[in-house]
Amino acid sequence: MNLIKRYFSNGNIGYLFVLPAAVYMLLLVGYPIVSNFILSFQDVTVTTLNKLQKPFVGFRNYRLLLGDGVLQPSLANTFVFTLCCIVLQFIIGFALALYFNRSFSFSKPIRGLLMIPWMIPMTVTALMFKFMFSSNVGIVNQFLQACGLIGQPIEWLLQPRLAMLSLVIANTWIGIPFNMILISTGLTTIPADLMEAASIDGASARQSFFHIILPMLKPVIESVLILGFIYTFKVFDLVFVMTNGGPVNTTQLLSTYSYKLSFTLFKYSQGAATANILFLILFAVSIVYLKFVYDDGKAA
Amino acid sequence: MMPERKAPDRLKNVVLCFVALLLFALLMFPLYWMAVTSLKNEIEIFKVPPTLVPQVLNTTSYFAQLKHGDFNMFRSFKNSFVISSSVMLIALVLAIPASYGIARFRFKGKRLIILSFLVTQMLPVSVLLTPMFIVFKNVHLLNTQFSAILADATIGIPFSVLILIGYFTSIPKELEDASRIDGCNRLSTFLLVFLPIASPGVVVCAVFSFLYGWGDLAYGMTFLQDQAMRPITAGIFNFMGQYGTKWSYLTAFAVVTIIPVIVIFIFMQRYIISGLTSGAVKG
Repeated sequence: MNLIKRYFSNGNIGYLFVLPAAVYMLLLVGYPIVSNFILSFQDVTVTTLNKLQKPFVGFRNYRLLLGDGVLQPSLANTFVFTLCCIVLQFIIGFALALYFNRSFSFSKPIRGLLMIPWMIPMTVTALMFKFMFSSNVGIVNQFLQACGLIGQPIEWLLQPRLAMLSLVIANTWIGIPFNMILISTGLTTIPADLMEAASIDGASARQSFFHIILPMLKPVIESVLILGFIYTFKVFDLVFVMTNGGPVNTTQLLSTYSYKLSFTLFKYSQGAATANILFLILFAVSIVYLKFVYDDGKAA
Repeated sequence: MMPERKAPDRLKNVVLCFVALLLFALLMFPLYWMAVTSLKNEIEIFKVPPTLVPQVLNTTSYFAQLKHGDFNMFRSFKNSFVISSSVMLIALVLAIPASYGIARFRFKGKRLIILSFLVTQMLPVSVLLTPMFIVFKNVHLLNTQFSAILADATIGIPFSVLILIGYFTSIPKELEDASRIDGCNRLSTFLLVFLPIASPGVVVCAVFSFLYGWGDLAYGMTFLQDQAMRPITAGIFNFMGQYGTKWSYLTAFAVVTIIPVIVIFIFMQRYIISGLTSGAVKG
């Protein structure tokens, strides 16, 4: 008893405070990660799900996936989707941050309201864009036809490249606020007298952008891009609702393919293996991100 | 604050405001379009050129939902509310002590704990879905709202812990010592000194945990098969499958889904912006 008391008398009592949350996360996140890993080396389908003894099959699931002709395109699609989204949302978010960083009457309230797309459930965003891109009633086709840019309505979500483009546009709409707010916050850390001194010295807006703003914001830009990558790479809801990977897997991402394998085809082990590939890529990027954050000395 | 403006400055202000409003209108157009569509009838939705405001106000898309039991969106709304509130409660109950412990005590492995919370925030839902599904099936939690609640809270907890560590660390040691001298024990110091100072952080965590629960689709639709128990996001998804092109109903459903989000946003904007700048993930 005394020993226990002495152990917890100093800082170690901190463990007791962390314990409930740590146990919760270990059970509901730690265990599933390990279990997903093991699952990907077993053969668990709808018939073997309830059996206690699950056959170990080594790398068979991964081999099957490599041969099924969907995994590699899904991997490629995930990268294309992610890169297009982060480039677009970064450029637009940066431009908006610069614009709303100037002081004028509505700058703060409007910048605040522009956060709304980030808060909205992705399912709703998906429905909204599916409606806007629909071929017969979609405002996008109606607008393009009214401008005389297209004669016939375009099947946005039924043509491979256009479907991917529609997804990128929808996801960029979600990502812009996130990029804008983080860059805005970064901009406010640049001392005003630095910008003033530059303009007194005759620096043009272009010069101050490339020689002051960009270098000063380097750490912020790094984290915005890496976090953007992480959040976009794992997007599921949006694609699942808008195209569900179609037409013919041309917008299939690792996340949606994993879901399809597990919950439409009931090949739980192959679904787990696909999720595992997604996880390993994201885990590697997360480690890179954390290294950046710690190197810049702004750790949590 | 501003010194009085000269004429060119005032003109510049007007131009900047005007362009800002244009940008705002452009970016918010999808939301406007959805809301307007929910108030049109089916014939008007198909009209070319489209009408920017409903010519005939049609609210049946909302009220029809009250009568039919099949896809009752208000029942889904209630389910989502129950799930999200429970998620919020779990996240706060677990994250407040955890962040307090991490912020105020020195112990081994602290850095590792913080790092694991950071990494959990970046995890894809996909990696947890299949194993969770199997576990919940084995312990008979599938088709109960507990499954969705337990899963959704895994997003809110790490976020809340990381946010609150910042608040608890910023409280000076002297304040703690002073309250101890005044006769407070550890618990009353925590309740009377720490919690009030960290309360803005607690609000941020409550808001985001709730919104993570509200926005979830993957867990809700996978673990709950019975439409009567599913959250509103899964309700919409079902509805889309059933009434694919009945856009007046679909957009009405979507508008109802985002009402709480907009209300929270209006009243909690300060907290939301602060949460976002501290790196809230997209749940």
